[in-house]
Amino acid sequence: MLKISPDKLQPGMKLVKPVISNNGMVLLGEGMELTEKWIQRIVDMGIENLYVEGSQEPAVPKEELLAQLEARFKYIQDCPYMVLINKAVSEHIEAMYE
Amino acid sequence: MSSQIIKVNQARIENIGALPTVPGTLKLISSVIANPMLTLDEISRFVSNDPALTAKVLKMVNSAAFGFPGRISSVSHAIMLLGLNVVRGLLLGISVFEIMEKVMAGLWGHSLACASAARTIALQRGLANPEEISVAGLLHDMGKVLLILEYPKQYEEVMNKANSAGVTVIEMESEYFSDPHPSVGKWLGAKWNFPRNLLEVIAFHHSPEKAKLAPMEAAIVHLSDILVRARGIGFAGDPFVPAVNPAAFEKINPSAEEIKMVLERIETTLESEG
Repeated sequence: MLKISPDKLQPGMKLVKPVISNNGMVLLGEGMELTEKWIQRIVDMGIENLYVEGSQEPAVPKEELLAQLEARFKYIQDCPYMVLINKAVSEHIEAMYE
Repeated sequence: MSSQIIKVNQARIENIGALPTVPGTLKLISSVIANPMLTLDEISRFVSNDPALTAKVLKMVNSAAFGFPGRISSVSHAIMLLGLNVVRGLLLGISVFEIMEKVMAGLWGHSLACASAARTIALQRGLANPEEISVAGLLHDMGKVLLILEYPKQYEEVMNKANSAGVTVIEMESEYFSDPHPSVGKWLGAKWNFPRNLLEVIAFHHSPEKAKLAPMEAAIVHLSDILVRARGIGFAGDPFVPAVNPAAFEKINPSAEEIKMVLERIETTLESEG
């Protein structure tokens, strides 16, 4: 899933989530393929975030996320279950970059 | 270290709506949700009369934190599905944390991710009330908001000191304030007639072993708080992960796979929140 702003929309992109107007109405259902005309309407209505097919790598490099993780756990590595939690989070971060 | 511990003024916390820094919406919302006789119809009308508030409520209930993605299109529908107490908590969360984003950037993200994590764990354990646990996750840190509103300078000092001493804010709070943020949050919740289970979770999210009415819920929000910080999402006042309470962890007894599922849910919540 890729989150993008309306100005980056291209015809042919497929919605992963429905487009919801600012007053809560569903305008376009998920799975719809965007056309030039729909994109113009989305822009006109000032809808902010859209979700289309595609993948998004985290903006921060993996090594940096893992280093930050280590810093957050610096003082509590010896506490019960924290190793298990630390390991789960680090595997989760690794998986984000696969 | 501070020379003198500040006695947190309970009466002022309970009347937080009277503070000049608190915007009108919150004052109005607090006067509505504090009414114990509030009906579904009244709250629905109140929210529907404010388009900006309606949009925020709908955005929230359609987010991963509540698990009805894109399916709730009106406030009355939201209240029917979620119940009055959950919507009351939501309204408070939305209004209180909005003020906070200006003072403590990241607390909203932390709270939202906790709501999502708590709901996921509740579902994994087959609990009957996942939405109520979501709201507890959303509101668990509201005491921090109140302390910052009432004592902005001192709280900033608490955060700075916690950071340089390598401890969490809850530990540093006790050197500055007579009452830490869980107690302060509970005061206001009690004043606003929150359900007793929710009050317990707010009061004991750092000491879940003290919960009597809702020990499982308190353990879940406690663990959610830790997982969200472990992943480094949002900001709760300090850069460190607090140690998990072993008894609370054992009560939930999550597998490594279940923990990773929770982390994945958190990512999706934030993606959709922006």
